[in-house]
Amino acid sequence: MITSLIGLILRAAVVLAGTALITFTLLWNAPGDPAQAIAMARFDALLTQDIINQVREEAGLDAGFWTAFITWVGPLLTLDFGQSSVTGRDVWPDLLTAIGYVTPLAVGGLAIGLALSFSLAIVATRRPGGLLDRFAIAVASLGTAIPAYWLGLLLILLFAVHLAWLPAMGARTPSHIILPALTLGLGVAASLTRIIRSGILEARDQPFLSAIRRRGVSPKDISRDHIAPHAAIPVVTVFGLELAFLLEGVVMVEVIFGRPGLGTFLVNAIEARDFPQVQAVVVLTALIFVTVNLIIDVIYRIIDPRIGGRNA
Amino acid sequence: MRSVAAIVGALLFLAVAGPLLAPHDPTAINIPGRLSPPTSEYLLGTDILGRDILSRLLYGARWSLGLAFLISLIGLCAGTLIGLLAALGGKLTDWAAMRATDTFLAFPDLVAAVVIAGLLGSGTWSLIFALSVTGWMRYARVARGIGLSLRTRGYVIQAKLAGLNHWSVARWHYLPWLLPTLTVVWTGMFARAILGISALGFLGFGVQPPMPEWGTMLLDARIHLRSTPLQMIWPGLAVVISVLVINLAGDILRDTVATEGDHA
Repeated sequence: MITSLIGLILRAAVVLAGTALITFTLLWNAPGDPAQAIAMARFDALLTQDIINQVREEAGLDAGFWTAFITWVGPLLTLDFGQSSVTGRDVWPDLLTAIGYVTPLAVGGLAIGLALSFSLAIVATRRPGGLLDRFAIAVASLGTAIPAYWLGLLLILLFAVHLAWLPAMGARTPSHIILPALTLGLGVAASLTRIIRSGILEARDQPFLSAIRRRGVSPKDISRDHIAPHAAIPVVTVFGLELAFLLEGVVMVEVIFGRPGLGTFLVNAIEARDFPQVQAVVVLTALIFVTVNLIIDVIYRIIDPRIGGRNA
Repeated sequence: MRSVAAIVGALLFLAVAGPLLAPHDPTAINIPGRLSPPTSEYLLGTDILGRDILSRLLYGARWSLGLAFLISLIGLCAGTLIGLLAALGGKLTDWAAMRATDTFLAFPDLVAAVVIAGLLGSGTWSLIFALSVTGWMRYARVARGIGLSLRTRGYVIQAKLAGLNHWSVARWHYLPWLLPTLTVVWTGMFARAILGISALGFLGFGVQPPMPEWGTMLLDARIHLRSTPLQMIWPGLAVVISVLVINLAGDILRDTVATEGDHA
């Protein structure tokens, strides 16, 4: 257990180092002169070559790739994201504001998604192969084919334009979160339902269940002690996938609904070629993602002792 | 199997022949006739610049379906190669290939594609690059997994003993076993590429206007949501139907592969 834990942590570290290297390679090869971009952002007009060169030197951009990489990665290790190259302000406070907006959206979307998919899966598995089951699968399949940006536009059209029940654009009032969270939640539900459904079915199919049943254990105890843990495994796996889905979802959803947040922050930063802001989002996302997957791997080994040993 | 080939064939036909079926020039601007409702001349109406929406949809198939096909094919080749390298190569190769796979999987792929396409500058080439570079990992894992399980088969060992080099072993003894499963993975990645292209287009990082691509058409439609709400229906519907149809093909294929696997 301890050695496999250390192995997992080392692997996570390698992955993070790889992400940093890829990100820097990308920044290094991005078109346009980053020194000029920074200089333009800071000094606006009256750019002379001297100023550009000075900026280049300050940012360590004239050294070779590896030297520049080391200079670049150093502050990131302490999560020091520096200043925006456009506004010159510290990246952290703006990033925290964005996180403050994105958290309720992600939590709301996940809650809606989990509630919907679990109820749908439970109803569906009551009679596998029945009408309700096939209906649930069809709805879920349709849902996974609908991109978030189209679903969002449809919801805006229906609830904001046509019925005028809910506000669509911005984040001024609490009710502004309903449509974005619903868009996100419906997407989450569509991607989860089939997985939870097969998790429940598979758990119910375990051969040892009939042995336990014959021993006279009550169905309630069987559900709690034997079916639930088995059904939990795919759900835990899915949390890693869900996190990815949520992160992708918020980018699209925030853009559709003109909502401030991490996605808008990222898209604006890319458009302004504000490298410090872009890399802050990238590093933070990778860190969250790798940490969550590490935790999932550990939980896996706890709820299912069969996992471990040589796994890829 | 035949139905799958028919579905994929129909989509590719649309990508190639779509422009030929278009009744109008998709970029021809006609301000007096703008925002026209569906008429017999403009079956789906016109957009804010008076361009024929049906023609734009048909031309858009070239980008949305054609590029998705290309991108999923690049991923298939690159991923299979990396997976086979991991399975056939030594321990170090395997380790390096799998950590590279982990690294690329360590990031939500659409977000990664947005960052890559955005930083490299908007345009078709960076779109292809961004979606290909984030779309090979699943193939690599599958190819490696099957490859590892084949390593101890009798005929593979015999082929190696007979002096066949790595490439011949991979070509004749691994690839035929890999292809059915990889094709199933490929359908999923084809659908993902369609969604990815239109997502990047919608964010403004993909195919650039005035080129009609379904995602960029949605971006246009979003701006005029209030004045012409119907405009956003068509490109979205095109994406949803394509993805549904491909997923359906994938499901059929998966069942076929599973049954054939039982007999093998």
